[in-house]
Amino acid sequence: MNVNSVSSTFLLIAFFVYLLAFLLFVLSITGKKWSNRDPETHTKRWGFVAFLASVAGFACHVTFFFTRWAEGGHIPTSNMYEFMTFLGMMIMFAFLIVYLIYRTPVLGVFALPIGFIIIAYASVFPSEVQPLIPALQSYWLKIHVTTAATGEAFFGVGFAGGLMYLLRAVDYNGTTKPNKREQRGLEFTLLFILILVGFIGSIFAFNGSGYKAAFTKQVTQTDAQGQQQTTTQDETYVLPPIVQPHGMQLVEMKPFLGMKQPLFTAPSWMEGASAGRKLNTVIWSVLTGLILYGLARLVSRKPLGAAISPVVKGMDPEDLDEISYRAIAIGYPIFTLGALIFAMIWAQEAWGRFWGWDPKEVWALITWLFYAVFLHLRLSRGWQGKRSAWLSVIGFIVVMFTLVGVNLVIAGLHSYAGV
Amino acid sequence: MFHNTKCDCGHQNPTGTTLCESCGKPLIDDDGSDLLEMRYDGMARRSQKSNPSILDKVWNFFSSVKIAVYIILVTLVASAVGTIYPQENTFLDMDPAQYYEQNYGTLGTIYYKLGFSHTFNSWWFITLLFMIGTSLVICSLDRVLPLYKALSKQQIRKHENFLTRQKVTYTGPLPEQAEAEAWTSLMASLLRKKHYRVHTDGTALLAEKYRFSRWGPYINHIGLIIFLLGVLMRSIPGWHMDQYMGLLEGETKQIPHTSYYIKNEKFNLELYEDKDLPESIKEKGQIVPKTYETQAVLYHCTANCDDNAAEPVLEEVHRADILVNHPLDYKGLQAYQFDYKSSPMLISVKPTLSNPRTGESFGSFDLPMNNPKDEYVVGPYKLKLKGYFPDFGLDDKGQPISKSNEPKAPAFIFNITGPNLAASGEPYMYFPRQIDKEAYSQDQINGAIAQKLNIAVGSMEGVQFAQYTTYLNIRVDKAMPYIWVGAAIFMIGVIMGFYWQHRRIWLRIDDNKLTLGAHTNKNWFGLRNEVAAAMAKNAIDISPKLLDKGGKQE
Repeated sequence: MNVNSVSSTFLLIAFFVYLLAFLLFVLSITGKKWSNRDPETHTKRWGFVAFLASVAGFACHVTFFFTRWAEGGHIPTSNMYEFMTFLGMMIMFAFLIVYLIYRTPVLGVFALPIGFIIIAYASVFPSEVQPLIPALQSYWLKIHVTTAATGEAFFGVGFAGGLMYLLRAVDYNGTTKPNKREQRGLEFTLLFILILVGFIGSIFAFNGSGYKAAFTKQVTQTDAQGQQQTTTQDETYVLPPIVQPHGMQLVEMKPFLGMKQPLFTAPSWMEGASAGRKLNTVIWSVLTGLILYGLARLVSRKPLGAAISPVVKGMDPEDLDEISYRAIAIGYPIFTLGALIFAMIWAQEAWGRFWGWDPKEVWALITWLFYAVFLHLRLSRGWQGKRSAWLSVIGFIVVMFTLVGVNLVIAGLHSYAGV
Repeated sequence: MFHNTKCDCGHQNPTGTTLCESCGKPLIDDDGSDLLEMRYDGMARRSQKSNPSILDKVWNFFSSVKIAVYIILVTLVASAVGTIYPQENTFLDMDPAQYYEQNYGTLGTIYYKLGFSHTFNSWWFITLLFMIGTSLVICSLDRVLPLYKALSKQQIRKHENFLTRQKVTYTGPLPEQAEAEAWTSLMASLLRKKHYRVHTDGTALLAEKYRFSRWGPYINHIGLIIFLLGVLMRSIPGWHMDQYMGLLEGETKQIPHTSYYIKNEKFNLELYEDKDLPESIKEKGQIVPKTYETQAVLYHCTANCDDNAAEPVLEEVHRADILVNHPLDYKGLQAYQFDYKSSPMLISVKPTLSNPRTGESFGSFDLPMNNPKDEYVVGPYKLKLKGYFPDFGLDDKGQPISKSNEPKAPAFIFNITGPNLAASGEPYMYFPRQIDKEAYSQDQINGAIAQKLNIAVGSMEGVQFAQYTTYLNIRVDKAMPYIWVGAAIFMIGVIMGFYWQHRRIWLRIDDNKLTLGAHTNKNWFGLRNEVAAAMAKNAIDISPKLLDKGGKQE
């Protein structure tokens, strides 16, 4: 099947338009200090241009969505690639909505990168259109997945708001213990994002160069009749193997920087399916993330948070606090409806039970409980400002674990993931 | 210690009140300048009673949001731990004691021994859910009543301290030439245009809108309580049933513990064609099912239902094609397409009894693989079924056994009586499948009788063959309506609470000095804009941001 050239072109265009919009938002903030201009008019004008660019990018993204729908014959939310591109689209949507309420260009500087990191992450997964298995042949695929993703997208904007609040409020000159702790926490959050970027970057680079390493092992099992059966298990790496799977032999490996064989073997307790490969991917991601972080520190010569914080300097922290909270307040009912209630209705129809403690279900519940705690602490116990911002940052990490981590680490009924 | 709760305005407040119920004057720290705590408008709650009894102490425990947050957090962590390894109920058939050790080593054993392998059915997890339910009820009651009281009897003219200590507040002179009464009534009409309900009392004004959103949290909690009760109701006997059945094509089986029988008339499987599949799947040679369905018939048993000897009397009540996402539903009894297995098996044959030497045929009979009859009469011969092995095999000692109940390799032992046979009858062993007949040397086992009689299937006519076994999940869940109603009420509640905000604006004019205060439970940004817009139209220009804390920006 022809890999949907029309729709993927639109996605590519959307990606670059978002990138442009991001640069325009940056320009609208940093350019206001240039001479010969009134800062307020500058930000307003360029913020508006950047907003228009985001709308154009979103329009391309929507075109991608519907052309792929037409080409594939079913709504493109049925595998990891399609879901992630959709989530990216909804993050842009959520950003546009929140932007229209608060009209703060700085939000674009933080929300847009979340959107295009998610889109880039989508491209790590195989992009071919796959036929729908019977379990997915239901109109609930359209309803459940889209509403759940929309709710999560608002949490993503809440995360952007929370991060901005922290960058604005954390005192980088402070030397007291709480100051230091906050600085470290913020650096760690930024490092976490860079690790994700490192993951996407390394998969892209090695996939593009066609890197491959293969391992194999023989597994002997004794079945119920007492007969021994020997099966062969194979494992293919797209990243150079720093760690090889436990108990497997190397079949082939392209040398990488003079490295002709894996440096370590995964510990024996890592026996789950593809545990060795996943560990290798994690090591690569952390390494590239650390390298990116190191480079950024070398260039800026100060903590990353301190380097970024001037962007949000002009913002009123209370406004940032409210933006973050508002995005979450908009997202929470949508998330509940999509990820829990519609999910339960579909589960009842497809599997005969509305709830089965499947890992994905449990993690959706955990996400929901987490934001419930966030809302209770905020509304009833007055947690605002920094504490609320930290919770919105952690909350989105929980969301990402539910979407990605559960598929990669824990298997279950929802594990339609590839990589 | 006696704390005076009587306000200057003469109103007697209950213990625990922080803002006078009538005029709003702060009762604690009354000459401070900090923002007022506006939750429940400063009303006393039941949990703030003095001299609590034991019951009060339990009430106080569960009425605390802090405690509620802790319970939710513990539930959250427990749920996360429960997903580390698969739960026991993920598998239909396994030995947990071995499974966790074999697959996950020492950590798995610890996980199993600590009971995390059945986290979600454990008493402590269910206790946590109970505690959440209790907390929901008590927290809501403890707050909704004082809030209702506070909102249903609001005074229009509030104490000045009440107004200046709001988050959004403004104090300043009236515009020149403005007359207090006229200014107030213009303000009232401006706010009415913004959908406020406005009450005035001379030069004092109270404008309020979307009060209903304050009930949102309580409504969503009611929804959750109904939802949890629905979950609880599933343990009422007969309200919940969950079982799995495997049915060969053509097979009819009783649904255990019910008077219903279900038949798999035909099973259809359609695979995706190669042209529909992407390269990666084609390369691996995977087959991908497009649809599979069971054409099912549901019968109600009207007589002889639990009598093994007699044939049950069945009456067809419902007929449906069961697909994934399209269950059969008959009066709350539901059958879901769960799985299928390719299992080529015989359903029934129609063998002919003949004389192998002359070729003379004595007739044929229907022989089903499920519940064959005890006796068949064919021409002059009588065939008594002595033994039936659906899945024939030999054990260690060479004795015939049936390895399973599925007719994978059926074998029948008849005792035949009739012409030219011993009066007490002679045994005849019959394997309907040619492959088994040869594998187990049917003719040699039968010996002499094989020279006189032969049971064999002449043609494919009368042979019924099943290609697939369908697995159905049979369910009854009478609590579902409560669960859906609970979920719907929850949604109504959160939408009310999150998409609307309760906004109130108070103002009073004393000697041409305007004092304004405004409060909302969410979205201060919107409230500030609305207040500033109304004031601008009424000749007081102030930027929305300056209204925050009365323009006293740090």
